[in-house]
Amino acid sequence: MIYLDNAATSWPKPAGVAEAVVRALREPLGNPGRTHHRAALDAASMVAACREDLAELFHAPNPLRICFTANTTDALHLAIKGALRPGDHAICSAMEHNSVWRPLKALAEMGVELSVAEAGQTGFVHPENVRRLLRPNTRLVVMQHASNVTGTIQAIQEIGAIVRAHGALFLVDAAQSAGSLPIDVVSMSIDLLAFPGHKGLLGPQGTGGLYVGEGVELQLVREGGTGSESLNAEQPSFYPDRLESGTLNVPGIAGLDASVTYLLARGVSSVRKHETGLTVQLLRGLARIPGVTLYGPAVDTPRAAVVSFNLEGWECTALAEELERRAGIASRPGIHCAGLAHRTLGTAAIGTVRLSPGPFTSPEEIETALAVVEAIAREPRDLCPR
Amino acid sequence: MSWQLVVFASLNQAALVKRGLTREGIEVEMQRTPQSLSFTGCSFALRCRQEDVPRVAARCEELSIRPGGVFAETEAERNSQKRAFDVSELEQ
Repeated sequence: MIYLDNAATSWPKPAGVAEAVVRALREPLGNPGRTHHRAALDAASMVAACREDLAELFHAPNPLRICFTANTTDALHLAIKGALRPGDHAICSAMEHNSVWRPLKALAEMGVELSVAEAGQTGFVHPENVRRLLRPNTRLVVMQHASNVTGTIQAIQEIGAIVRAHGALFLVDAAQSAGSLPIDVVSMSIDLLAFPGHKGLLGPQGTGGLYVGEGVELQLVREGGTGSESLNAEQPSFYPDRLESGTLNVPGIAGLDASVTYLLARGVSSVRKHETGLTVQLLRGLARIPGVTLYGPAVDTPRAAVVSFNLEGWECTALAEELERRAGIASRPGIHCAGLAHRTLGTAAIGTVRLSPGPFTSPEEIETALAVVEAIAREPRDLCPR
Repeated sequence: MSWQLVVFASLNQAALVKRGLTREGIEVEMQRTPQSLSFTGCSFALRCRQEDVPRVAARCEELSIRPGGVFAETEAERNSQKRAFDVSELEQ
């Protein structure tokens, strides 16, 4: 298999990740925070180590403000529904994933005012498009760091400064950037950072997290057992307990800690350099193939390792199946859970084929994928499924 | 040697404080807070030497943690199954 679907979930994982998960299941590893036998304390130490590593990766001053979640959507819900009340105003971009768009639309039905910052044809949102939408009651600005459709990287630092100056909260969806692009929650003025554990962070599925900045208070979306202040009917006021009700995914976090340890040793900049090289190779190669339409930023503009395209005469789903049939190429066709973004790009009716290389993709694999697309493109059109 | 018990509201706090102290070469033992000292229900504590309490307090400050209290371990605690503590001064 040539795995080019890292934007959905990364594969392969670094050495040590699977072993850490297996070890967490095979060896005694208890429920952290619930009791004090050795297995439970060992689990707590491992979870604490992962919190510290994530804080280091995102330059978060306090590891206790990293809360584990099941995935990015879970984290975004805690943040969006925790921050907004009826009468508040929220801003998102026209490139958002449904994990942001749907909860915001649901809140709009309950009295939250919602504005959408326009994006250009490449998916880029000019910071001024955010600034001009700010209102006195703007409570939250939500912005994708990098598009899961086009790889477009938003001007997070500039937008963060605008939002901070206004006094609103800035929530960044790092689904396509955590582990792949440098993130500094302090210099980027990020109040809330939602991230997956299983994409750029290279950990297991079912892991993710939410960074909550100092002084940021969220309404609760759920309450429950935390292993702390058990005599109180109210949820603890301190983090991460405030948001971490119920048993954590300890085997998943064990795998995540192994993958983040790998990333810290390799360096995000090294991953970024590798993925940029592959993305440029892919973009240049696809641009040379007759009938290919590319979406998103120009080849010389920085983007995340996400490339969307269509091939004339081919439906995106049929093309994805053909790529897998001919060379075992794993891609993702369709709307990518991002109807808003596809409407912005003008591809809502046709979708796109998305190729997303990862830290372990080789240039040879990209060459093979390009050769297969080219071979398909050069075949007589009447043989192709429409 | 005199031992102290620093009580935390949650294991998350105790575990992170312990990791930082371990990196500094300070030995602490993580344990469940004795029920008699656990005023709000479940909580966890770090058992440390008396002279290390200021470092524990400093680490707590770095993490914006307010410990539930610092308790001196008594002779009764060391020599029997009974858990008994004297309230020590709060290092915060």
